[in-house]
Amino acid sequence: MKNEPLRPPRDSASSALSSSQFDERYRLTPPKVEDPGARKRARFVADQQKQLMAGIPNRPANIAWFQELVDQGAAEGPGPLVGYFCNMIPVELIFALGARPVRIDCGNAALVAAGEEALSGEICPLAKSSFAMAMDPQGLPNRCAALVMPASCDAKRKLGEVLADYRPVFTFSLPPEQDAGRHTAMAAAEVERLGDWLAATLGRKLTTGALLEAIDLTRRRATLVRELQAARAAEPAALSVRDFFLVIQASFTGVALGTWLAEAEKVLAGVRGFKSARKRLRPRLVLTGAPIVWPNFKPLNLIEECGADVVADTVCTGAQSCFDPVVYEEKGRSALLRALAHRYVFASPCPCFVSQGTRISRVLDLVAEFRADGVLNYGLRLCQLFDMEAYRLSRVLKQEKVPFANLRTDYSLEDTEQLRVRLEAFLETLGE
Amino acid sequence: MITAGVDIGSTTTKAVILDDGKVRSRTVLPSGNLPGETAKRALADVLKAAQLAESDLAMVAATGYGRRLVDLGGIVMTEIKACAAGALAATAGAAVERVHTVIDVGGQDTKVIALDDAGDIEDFSMNDKCAAGTGRFLEMLAHKLDLSYGAFVDEAMKSDTMIQMNATCAVFAESEVVGLLARNISKADIAAAAHNAIASRIASMTRRVGSRGSYCFVGGGARNAALVKAVQEALNKPVHTPADPQTVIALGAAVGARRKVERAGEKDKDENAL
Repeated sequence: MKNEPLRPPRDSASSALSSSQFDERYRLTPPKVEDPGARKRARFVADQQKQLMAGIPNRPANIAWFQELVDQGAAEGPGPLVGYFCNMIPVELIFALGARPVRIDCGNAALVAAGEEALSGEICPLAKSSFAMAMDPQGLPNRCAALVMPASCDAKRKLGEVLADYRPVFTFSLPPEQDAGRHTAMAAAEVERLGDWLAATLGRKLTTGALLEAIDLTRRRATLVRELQAARAAEPAALSVRDFFLVIQASFTGVALGTWLAEAEKVLAGVRGFKSARKRLRPRLVLTGAPIVWPNFKPLNLIEECGADVVADTVCTGAQSCFDPVVYEEKGRSALLRALAHRYVFASPCPCFVSQGTRISRVLDLVAEFRADGVLNYGLRLCQLFDMEAYRLSRVLKQEKVPFANLRTDYSLEDTEQLRVRLEAFLETLGE
Repeated sequence: MITAGVDIGSTTTKAVILDDGKVRSRTVLPSGNLPGETAKRALADVLKAAQLAESDLAMVAATGYGRRLVDLGGIVMTEIKACAAGALAATAGAAVERVHTVIDVGGQDTKVIALDDAGDIEDFSMNDKCAAGTGRFLEMLAHKLDLSYGAFVDEAMKSDTMIQMNATCAVFAESEVVGLLARNISKADIAAAAHNAIASRIASMTRRVGSRGSYCFVGGGARNAALVKAVQEALNKPVHTPADPQTVIALGAAVGARRKVERAGEKDKDENAL
């Protein structure tokens, strides 16, 4: 029998840029499931979190605006949506192409089971629930013109290939080591390749002027998040860390950054004007570890319910996500691409790189700068990378005499009381 | 000074009355499905046994997973803190070395606490959310073998088996038992293997918190002679079990209540001095 390929070979005439990185011969018809039950359960989970947060004292007057964006997903607006994962994709490229970047990491516990129906159960809840969103014909990934995925952890790397059956996907390669000396050229070339692919896929042209404008906007976002962070560190009662995360994550929804900045300025003014009735003597924590994505604010709920404040974080969905501005020396195209590579690849504290030095240094700096009483590591079950890193992190912090606790859990709520005991006991030891 | 400690656990609720360092009365009740009511009843029982009224109490402290389900009019503390204080108090007069590591096996949690030389908590470790490695796990397996819990423990004492059980998951352990029974393994060997499996998990948790010095085993699990034996073997160290290990955490809560009153007194003195 003649060994026929399953699919015709790739059209050699088609541009290499617009073609997929994934083997066309093994493309599958993607499973799509109309599952109103899952949608309803997901709604319930988000509503419960909303309800819980309604009880937070002293919320910003315009918090509903941020809440609505985060809760309802991508805002309506001009230009196509481009979905992206993680905090390593230079969203400036997407903005510069007149498209709207929307982060599609999912935090909904109700969708984990739905994702398991097609993928294995032994994958982290973030990957499973994110995949479930793609299985929903109305889900966010299916409303995106293109998806961009960094080859960060194993789950994300392979999820990109799975999602490529649904929408055009670009997998953004990362160097294994954060050695800028050796890898800057490679990372900058990858940023350029992503820009070219996006331009070809969206049928638009990337100009240096538009890129500079986008960089200016994300730099203004970084400034604002830093100012909010500083104001919170001085008086944590001024803004709950859960509302802080809401404000930040609202900027990942495809909203125009100018609009977001105007609303976030109001939050900052409110936080700065806040006068506390009395000095707050709650333990101050630095939060590090796995992504905390709406509506899975479980670790944040627990921390605040147990009477502690998060004064700084290295979480890729928290202040860390916007903390580093893009810094360029010249305004030429290649200088900008290098600047993006530095911001998104070499400053990242993600555990997917060979050494966790970036994260440990960052945690130690934050403890000193924000006068923290201790460090809390949030480990997401089935994320081996964060799990493995807890080993060194805990021991280094012990050597540095920084109190440390590890909360290892997933999206489900069944272990809340056990986690509460752990956290309260940790806070008790800080008080002594 | 008279204080009370109430430990509202997942399986049982314990209460202790402490009078100037001496335990006046203690009780253990099944928690039932209304743990808040049980806690009040346990407190009433120990007060009655000590011939005291609630007004005689300088302070009451609640601990255990149900600590926030009831308002006893006093303070609330975690079972980690209560366990550390209780283990030190329970071994204070005993002819043992100063305790540095406390192992607590309860109904739904297993905890290991490392104490520094001052008796403060240095580090602690708890089992993950599943029930493997807890008292409930052994109860389930006893049931599976059609044995009362006491008979299950007695059987385990009879065997020196080297059969391995995984016991990483309580549900899978049940099917593991079915497999062992099918291989005609005796109930004694299975019971011993289950105890060994838990003991080895406890030993690794203990090593993880960086244990040293002398060991104290408390909680309902410490009443199980087969488990104490298995833990000593797994650690290769002698493990001290205080009298009434099940009420040690309630005792620790009562100690915590006393400290709270003492500290408040010191604070008043300081303020008066100013």
